[in-house]
Amino acid sequence: MAVSDNSKKSEQIKPKEQFDFFHDERVRSVLYQLLTAAAVALVAWFLISNTSKNLEARGMHTGFSFLNVAAGFDSYFKLIPNEAGVGTYGRIFVIGALNTLYVSLLAIVASTILGFFIGILRLSSNWLVSKVALAYVEIFRNTPLLIQIVFWYISVFSLLPRVRNSIDLSGGLELVLLNNRGLYLPWPVPGDSLWLTGIALIVAIIAVCVFRRWAKASQDKTGQIVPTIIPSCLLLIVLPGAVYLLTGMPLEWDVPKLAGLNFSGGATLPPSFVTLLVALSAYHASYTAEMVRAGILSVNSGQYDAARSLGLKQGRLMSLVIIPQAMPAIVPPLISNWMSTIKNSSLAIAIGYPDLVSLFMQTSLNQAGYAIELVSMTMAFYMFVSLIISGLLNIYNKRIQLVER
Amino acid sequence: MTETKTQEAGKTRKHLVSAASSSVMIEFTQVNKWYDDFHVLKNIDLTVHQGERIVVCGPSGSGKSTLIRCINHLEEHQSGSIVVDGITLNRNLKNIDYIRTEVGMVFQNFNLFPHLTILENLCLGPIWARKISRADAEDVAMKYLERVKIPEQAEKYPEQLSGGQQQRVAIARSLCMNPKIMLFDEPTSALDPEMIKEVLEVMIELADTGMTMVVVTHEMGFAQIVADRVILMDKGEIVEENEPVAFFNNPQHERTKMFLSQIL
Amino acid sequence: MTIIKPVESPTVTAPLSKNSALRWVRKNLFNSVFNTVLTFVMLYFVYVAGKGMWSWGITDAVWIADTRRECFAISIDGACWAGVYAWFDNIFYGRYPREELWRINLGLVCLVIWMVPLWLPRVKAKISIGMTTVFLYPFLAGYLFSGGAKGVFMQFMVTAAIVCLLVNTLHAIVGVCSGRSLLEFIVTLFGKKNASSKRGRNILVGLFAIIFVVIYIWQMNWTVERIPWTKWGGLFLTLVISGIGIAMALPSGILLALGRRSNLTIVRVFSTTFIELFRSVPVITVLFMATTMFPLFMPQGFVLNKLVQVIIAVCMFNAAYMAETVRGGLQTIPKRQFEAAHTIGLGYWQTMGLIIMPQALKHMIPNIVGNFITLLKDTTLVSIIGLFDVLGMLRSISKDSPWLGLHKEPLVFGAFLFFVICFAMSKYSRHLEVKLSTSHKK
Repeated sequence: MAVSDNSKKSEQIKPKEQFDFFHDERVRSVLYQLLTAAAVALVAWFLISNTSKNLEARGMHTGFSFLNVAAGFDSYFKLIPNEAGVGTYGRIFVIGALNTLYVSLLAIVASTILGFFIGILRLSSNWLVSKVALAYVEIFRNTPLLIQIVFWYISVFSLLPRVRNSIDLSGGLELVLLNNRGLYLPWPVPGDSLWLTGIALIVAIIAVCVFRRWAKASQDKTGQIVPTIIPSCLLLIVLPGAVYLLTGMPLEWDVPKLAGLNFSGGATLPPSFVTLLVALSAYHASYTAEMVRAGILSVNSGQYDAARSLGLKQGRLMSLVIIPQAMPAIVPPLISNWMSTIKNSSLAIAIGYPDLVSLFMQTSLNQAGYAIELVSMTMAFYMFVSLIISGLLNIYNKRIQLVER
Repeated sequence: MTETKTQEAGKTRKHLVSAASSSVMIEFTQVNKWYDDFHVLKNIDLTVHQGERIVVCGPSGSGKSTLIRCINHLEEHQSGSIVVDGITLNRNLKNIDYIRTEVGMVFQNFNLFPHLTILENLCLGPIWARKISRADAEDVAMKYLERVKIPEQAEKYPEQLSGGQQQRVAIARSLCMNPKIMLFDEPTSALDPEMIKEVLEVMIELADTGMTMVVVTHEMGFAQIVADRVILMDKGEIVEENEPVAFFNNPQHERTKMFLSQIL
Repeated sequence: MTIIKPVESPTVTAPLSKNSALRWVRKNLFNSVFNTVLTFVMLYFVYVAGKGMWSWGITDAVWIADTRRECFAISIDGACWAGVYAWFDNIFYGRYPREELWRINLGLVCLVIWMVPLWLPRVKAKISIGMTTVFLYPFLAGYLFSGGAKGVFMQFMVTAAIVCLLVNTLHAIVGVCSGRSLLEFIVTLFGKKNASSKRGRNILVGLFAIIFVVIYIWQMNWTVERIPWTKWGGLFLTLVISGIGIAMALPSGILLALGRRSNLTIVRVFSTTFIELFRSVPVITVLFMATTMFPLFMPQGFVLNKLVQVIIAVCMFNAAYMAETVRGGLQTIPKRQFEAAHTIGLGYWQTMGLIIMPQALKHMIPNIVGNFITLLKDTTLVSIIGLFDVLGMLRSISKDSPWLGLHKEPLVFGAFLFFVICFAMSKYSRHLEVKLSTSHKK
């Protein structure tokens, strides 16, 4: 098979037919492609020339230099410090992007956990439980997310009590407080020697990995099943805990305290954030639940019989046979559900949570103009995130394919 | 759009063909084909005359399906030349369209169109590629359905028929195009044993009409009855090419002996 | 709680039919200690939630009142549905003049008449009916809804749409009665046996030409008052936007999907870019882009109104979503079908139009319905950029002076409205899925 590329492509015998220009496959293909390119170029030229004329006529400026200009406003919720009139538009972009990612990442975690939970309830052999789960899924999937968000905001979070009458979610300890200004949480303040506890935690994780591997090897050798879950948990808790205690508990909690009309200290999450988090999680959990259900049901029922006939118990049947087969069906839609969570976090604009769209496409656009730059930067951000997520998906699919081979 | 032109060109070409090489229908000259690095066809030389029945056999992966799929350009060969009905297969779309209307093909999995009734399946080609009126096309279709002995199924959908019936419909569908050459790509491999016979009977009848046929099959009984020549392919090469009697009783090559001992 | 797969173990004794209800309860609710506890917890939960909603929404609710104060006077804990009821017309029709509402209703009735044949089993040529719905109905509806003076083009299209509606309806009636197409029916009416005989066809064309001319002359004198788009609103506007979105998305989605699967590199690259671009950004950013950037894209002096901008944006992102649906449908068609079509001499477009698309579309219908549900829900976003769709109307109830601050009830009503529409559609699409997977079988 040692044939060079050259001889592969060369025509050893010339076709008897004359070369027919208009019916040749390659000519046609090039022609169609040129036509498409020309059409797209024409549309692009039309749009660009119109835009440049319009910009000129309206005396508008273009370019990204405005990113270095100080913005006249500030976001009331931000993960990095900023000041109105000092922070630039570039900084506003970063704040918006971080806010978007912050709320969506939390929502992704929450919706995935809740979704798996509801998906499993959906498959319960208890009729009532599965129907309640079904009702949850149908209600949340068949109403617009925007209505849900506004509903949560208006009829739940705006009805919260004033600061004085805050609801104490920690049961009288006054640690977690909820009122119409938001959710107040204690915030950890790391002490000097906390890093030792961190190291202990890492050591514990490594030890657990080693232990599990050893347990598996030992099982392969002797056939004895070594219990791993309880020892692993113990290891993970005891080792860092001991170090933490020995180093003198170097972690303090900044607890919210009532000072005058407001709480100070701790971490504050504004109502809009909590609303968005709750609404996004509840909505996307309903989709996740269906994916989990469909994934587990997609496993052939013969697999249950086969696993049972091997004498596997229910728990091991699920963890060794069913779940590994269901995951390839669950994970890809789950990952695209994460992407839609991030995209749907842009509905924050309806309740005033300062995410990227609200800060950048609305407030900045009203203040500074630069429509084209602002819109394209915002879109580019989402495209970038989506690229990363489809990258994740590709990695997963590749791994699955490798396993299946 | 281009179909009418093709047809006109086809008509004129037919005269040329009959004048020049009336007897040679398919001619492979030093044909090579690769799938990426895999050499599927190695220097294939093959000539099929009008009215000849060729049976191609060989182990799976030997390139026999690829060989006949090259004849109507479902696969593109990369070097050498294939001349079908006097026309060289190259990237000229007009030639390809013409060849495809002149060459019928029957597949292993029947490949009927599931959304159309049997009659519509049969009429589709004549109406759209041959530009025949629907009434005429239906007449022709019924004629061929009768020939494959299932005229009563005309209004049913493919899924309602048995495998053998579907394959007979597939044969009738190709015949409706009034082809000069019929290609069969393992037509009985997907069938239950009791249905193989009914399909083979139809094929034998077809052979009796003098149709040029190239058949990829493992049905050696069929080869013995019908074939003018039997070809054994292995690893992309034509290993042995001989008349059936000689092929089965006195194989020349080791590989042929091996193959026959496995299959018979 | 054991998870899933009710693997039926064969019972030794035959199930007692007398106590089947009791058996069912025991088997499905109380088959283990854990399940019994779970059932009681759930029952309590359902009871509390159900009772709360029931008393708020029904027993304690106020149905007739003139202002929110009156509602409070009657019942402080219940819902004030009177506010929603007072705004009913607004929720459904927006600020469309009340004496012109018949136009919207007529438009919807026409749509129903147009589409009903698609569901009648004996009617033929459904694809053509579907096509005319997509390409001709919008002109008729567009004129009915917006009114004003008609240009020549509009006159022509409106006439064509009316003629088409008539022909469709006749065709459907003939189909239901005799199982034949209108063409065959009329040809036999004129005493010809063969449907494809040229004379029969000529008579038919002539007949339609006469009908066309008559209707054209009639509709020249028929005008309705112009109603600017700013008065459109409510569910009507939501349906207009999502209806146009889905109708335009189907053909463009098919083209984009074919482009994405094409062998031609440039075509594939452009299609893929378009699809991925619009699928990766949030819908709201596309709407913002439409309202802020489209004015810059247009030639000077050419102003698109906001509704058109929004509709274009909706069409664009929905085309991208639809393209993926179509691609999914195309992937269900095995390559063998292409080959079979090629071997009987069909070209690319013939193969696509006659063999691949009809099969793929069938597989896609459930997903297209799903797509429509998503679009319908997404259309609520136009309220953010200032259009008064259903959600916009619902939210403005709370700003109406008699009903100041009435937030919850309109939103609950809106959610209910969407739930009914979307739930019905999703059930229908699931039903279709089951039906399609078993059709044509023995």
